[in-house]
Amino acid sequence: MSKIGVFVCHCGENISSTVDCEKVAATVGKYDGVAFSVDYKYMCSDPGQSIIKSAIAEKGLTGVVVAACSPRMHEPTFRKVCAEAGLNPYMCEMANLREHCSWVHEKGEATTEKAIDLVRILVEKVKYNQSLSSIKVPVTKTALVIGGGIAGIQASLDIANTGHKVILIEKDPSIGGHMSQLSETFPTLDCSQCILTPRMVEVAQHPNITLYTYAELESLEGFIGNFKARIRKKSKSLDEKLCTGCGLCTTKCPTKKIPSEFNEGLGNRTAIYVPFPQAVPNKPVIDRIHCTYYTKGKCRICEKVCPTGAIRFDQEDQIIEVEVGAIVVATGFAVKQPDFFPEYGYGKYADVITGLQFERLASASGPTLGEIRRPSDGKIPEKIVFLACAGSRDPAKGIPYCSKICCMYIAKHAMLYQHKVHSGKSYVFYMDIRAGGKMYEEFVRRAIEDDGVNYIRGRVSKIYEKNGKLIVNGVDTLLNAMPVEIEADMVVLATAGVANEGAEELAQKLHISYDPYKFFAEAHPKLKPVETNTGGIFLAGACQAPRDIPESVAMASGAAVKVAGLFSQDELTREPIIAVVNRQAAPVYSSCVGCFLCVSACPYQAIEKEEIKNRNGEVIKSIAKVNPGLCQGCGTCVAFCRTKSIDIQGYTHEQMYTEVMALLNEY
Amino acid sequence: MVDLIKRAKELIETSAVKVVIGYEQGTGNKTRALFVEKAEDAGKLIFDSRCVQNLAVYITKKEIKEKGKMAIAATLPVMRSIIQLASEFQVNDNNLLVLGITAESKLIEFANLVEVETFVHQYQIEIDVRNKEMLDKLGKMTQAERWKFWIDELAPCFKCYACRAACPMCYCHRCTVDFNQPQWIPVPSHELGNLEWHIMRAIHLTGRCIDCDACYNACPLSIPINLLTKKMLEDAKEHFGGYQPSLKGDHLMSTYKPDDKENFIH
Repeated sequence: MSKIGVFVCHCGENISSTVDCEKVAATVGKYDGVAFSVDYKYMCSDPGQSIIKSAIAEKGLTGVVVAACSPRMHEPTFRKVCAEAGLNPYMCEMANLREHCSWVHEKGEATTEKAIDLVRILVEKVKYNQSLSSIKVPVTKTALVIGGGIAGIQASLDIANTGHKVILIEKDPSIGGHMSQLSETFPTLDCSQCILTPRMVEVAQHPNITLYTYAELESLEGFIGNFKARIRKKSKSLDEKLCTGCGLCTTKCPTKKIPSEFNEGLGNRTAIYVPFPQAVPNKPVIDRIHCTYYTKGKCRICEKVCPTGAIRFDQEDQIIEVEVGAIVVATGFAVKQPDFFPEYGYGKYADVITGLQFERLASASGPTLGEIRRPSDGKIPEKIVFLACAGSRDPAKGIPYCSKICCMYIAKHAMLYQHKVHSGKSYVFYMDIRAGGKMYEEFVRRAIEDDGVNYIRGRVSKIYEKNGKLIVNGVDTLLNAMPVEIEADMVVLATAGVANEGAEELAQKLHISYDPYKFFAEAHPKLKPVETNTGGIFLAGACQAPRDIPESVAMASGAAVKVAGLFSQDELTREPIIAVVNRQAAPVYSSCVGCFLCVSACPYQAIEKEEIKNRNGEVIKSIAKVNPGLCQGCGTCVAFCRTKSIDIQGYTHEQMYTEVMALLNEY
Repeated sequence: MVDLIKRAKELIETSAVKVVIGYEQGTGNKTRALFVEKAEDAGKLIFDSRCVQNLAVYITKKEIKEKGKMAIAATLPVMRSIIQLASEFQVNDNNLLVLGITAESKLIEFANLVEVETFVHQYQIEIDVRNKEMLDKLGKMTQAERWKFWIDELAPCFKCYACRAACPMCYCHRCTVDFNQPQWIPVPSHELGNLEWHIMRAIHLTGRCIDCDACYNACPLSIPINLLTKKMLEDAKEHFGGYQPSLKGDHLMSTYKPDDKENFIH
């Protein structure tokens, strides 16, 4: 016979103002199996907890129902109380009288009746509860960081500095990401590379960090604490141990007219190349798509000139298998490209460029060595127009969100232009100026007030070329929608920040969720911003949404702490709320018929085949088996199982049925 | 079916298979399943338009499986059932030889299940005209009318479970309705119990039912329960791009896809 204790909480007045808590306790106290019931002002307080503990000890309770707030809030508290009093914590259930009753109903008889119902169903459920113990999973204390931009760099360094091993993979030949392309950074105008490159070098030299550049994630298996990642190390056609990074090959390579990715197509590179002078590692790769040897079968000049004989034309992609316990995804973002803006003539007119291209023009390491010159004829533009929200905040273009960083970098661009071209005139077309951030608004005001940038609130409908000038047709909405026409020498589009190409594919490899724009989804928009819905996989930087540098860095450090927290224990303790396939006596063994429809239905790849064998090792039956390390207890398999062979521990068919019946039956 | 008889005889004589499943003349004008285990019994095999029972129902039975490798005379619906069963790991090439019978009553012996699948995929599952009309008629009814239609139709059902016994997809050792701790689906054949049983059956067959009508043919009361599965087939076509059994195991209703068109699932 069950001996159940019911503890009704007033939650100050949160519950008791609409629910008659005394009546709830008194009514429930009369039910079969209820040995003790009481109400109290704050059950979660120390005296409240003591009431529960002493009742368990004195009455010999076999089950506890706490009727209080949401289990999200205090279930761990009360389960701990039960455990301390010697009762299995999973014999404790919570009835949510606050969110599910008192907060959503008026004071009255019916509200109290509902509260009684809510408690009753759990009293009945608890009768079927079974003692459960938490699951221990070992943890591999190595982290995998995907993406070597500023977020990936920061996360790697932070994790490595806690004493744990890190494997950092970057798909490009060098780490550095978008930040390495930037000229100056807002709101301080300090040189981007000057603050970034020391970090890049630190990554390369850190004893705890293994860096694989030109590498991508091939596949991922496993679960929190126990991932198995396969990394494809793309062939660099180079023996990295022999290469000294002298760069002779890059100067002799005859294929010189390949648009440089680092310079956003504004400069050229060779087929064997180092993306930029400060690259880490500072060793070249051969771009096989453009290399004359790979396309035409002849050349091999780099091989001839290499003083150490490091070139390896026959080198193949290498697959490296690593075991890691946690993963930080920091794959960054991309900006919208030419074909997206026919109305602005992008792609047609050489002098209509993106913000990232402007960064390269303004950068001392860029194709013009920091002088702002037109891509078409190399002249210094006398009039320059900046367009905010090119693509962003435009539901018609399918990008309703704000790309967030553009308002700030436009102010920076205009400022850099004014600083470099004193006689020049700059115009900014904007929708709103979004300068939320420390010293951000001051920065924009400085552009407008000190540097004389002309801000025009309105949008641009069309850009066309006339007599070598770019005619920008816009409107000034602060002057009663007056049409504005500017004859510009150059136009810079603040193109929308979008998810990286391949983001969706990567998300599917990692089994993490993503939003409609293919940015990776955080587990909770406010309280779990760096976690994903998949245990052990965390997010950092602009792969989650457009982010500026300080935010990316902060997020990376946040993710690193989550990883370090995970690595702080040798074993991971997990809630035993997982699915279990039943086992029965021979000759049935299990009611599972082995159709394995649950395998394809499981979002977490948690179900595998189990072969039941006899003593001679012959397979008698194949049935489904749930991996307790992977199962998240979502219950999808339970719903699909036709034979009802799967139960979620703590939420079994029997418990659920009892709850429903307790609600439907008269008491 | 001279070819079939000859081949069955050979297969048994050479011990290539232990049993050949086919049809024989039953009582009256009826046909019934025949399990040929001795070469001399092969002569009893027949095939004509009366042979509509879905023989695939036997290949998952313990009693038949125990005999060893089997061959089966399979019409298109039977072949479809075999492919669906294979995708659910209930049969495989090692224990089954498919002797296909085409619409023109020609015998095709398939080397493996992949060949059977290729054959099956030449034909879409189409709902016949008479039943299509009935479905359209039901679709035009008001909710109340449709409810009454089904309550009335299902009222005489006394749960003999002949529909379940005739269905090749109902191979579970323990049916949902036999699960009694707790008893989610009521056993008695009252209004609610009947309704729940037939709805549950239709849901469990969605994305698995190959529309062979075995359930309807087996029903001693001729309740049009096959309309329920046909409706699910129509819905599958409308919402999920249609159903065709496939060895790939990309089950229509039970495959989690991160790129599902519904956002809530991500």
